[in-house]
Amino acid sequence: MYSGTVATFFFYLFAVSSVVLALGVVLGQRLLRSAVCLIGVLGSSAGLTIILGFEFVAGIQVLVFIGGIVVLLLFAIMMTSEGHTFERQPSFARRAFGSLAAAAFFAVTFSVYMNASFPVATPEALAVSHEGADAIGRKLLSNERDGYIVPFEVISLLLLAALIGGIVIARKQELKEE
Amino acid sequence: MFSTPTITHWLTLSALLFSIGLYGILTRRNAIGILLSIELMLNSAVLNIVIFNRFVASDDVDGQVLALFIIGVAAAEAVVALAIFVSFYRHRHTLDVTQANRICKEGSSTP
Repeated sequence: MYSGTVATFFFYLFAVSSVVLALGVVLGQRLLRSAVCLIGVLGSSAGLTIILGFEFVAGIQVLVFIGGIVVLLLFAIMMTSEGHTFERQPSFARRAFGSLAAAAFFAVTFSVYMNASFPVATPEALAVSHEGADAIGRKLLSNERDGYIVPFEVISLLLLAALIGGIVIARKQELKEE
Repeated sequence: MFSTPTITHWLTLSALLFSIGLYGILTRRNAIGILLSIELMLNSAVLNIVIFNRFVASDDVDGQVLALFIIGVAAAEAVVALAIFVSFYRHRHTLDVTQANRICKEGSSTP
């Protein structure tokens, strides 16, 4: 993990930008603009992951979240809009209920965090950089007790199923068979 | 004021992002807008796991592996959800979730 003045500065920079852009995602009335704000949120989040010292995970976040999911969302927004991407402002009751639920969730979580004492490692231990990628690869493919080979194989099946399901669901209705 | 971020700062940021996503899910009417909020929440969950990996289990990589799994599942979920939305839009010409009460055509049991 990086520490020091520069890391602190970047932490607050990314934190503020991700919260502001997340509000933009949620409150904006144009979906396309919301999706562009989401790119900013995910980018800031990847930056935060880099500050924590996990460059590999940050790279995957950029590749999959921004390069894959957001681009897919942009395609879907453009395919399903026909020019009226404008969403009406939700009703007052809806907004009140939503903000109440979100504020209640945040209050509970925050009070738990303030009262809990986490077994945080010492700053000396935190400063040690663990090169992640090779250890992650060994962990993923190890069949020891603490390995992740079975979830790794299962997620390959899940991705295959999602691929086939996506094609089958979204294709055009075929012509009636004779 | 701008103290060095501790684990509480990081977790508060993650919880804040999650709450914003929750607000979006509860207020949006467009299905793709809801999916955007879900991506926000998944992203904050990834951030939370990575934070705990760094601060609490600093010697292990389990948190990073779990983050990779969440990212993979998020991608699969986005693909299937968008396929359903495109198919739904083709039938109904709207994506308003308050109008979505069936996915079959009238009187048939297949999509």
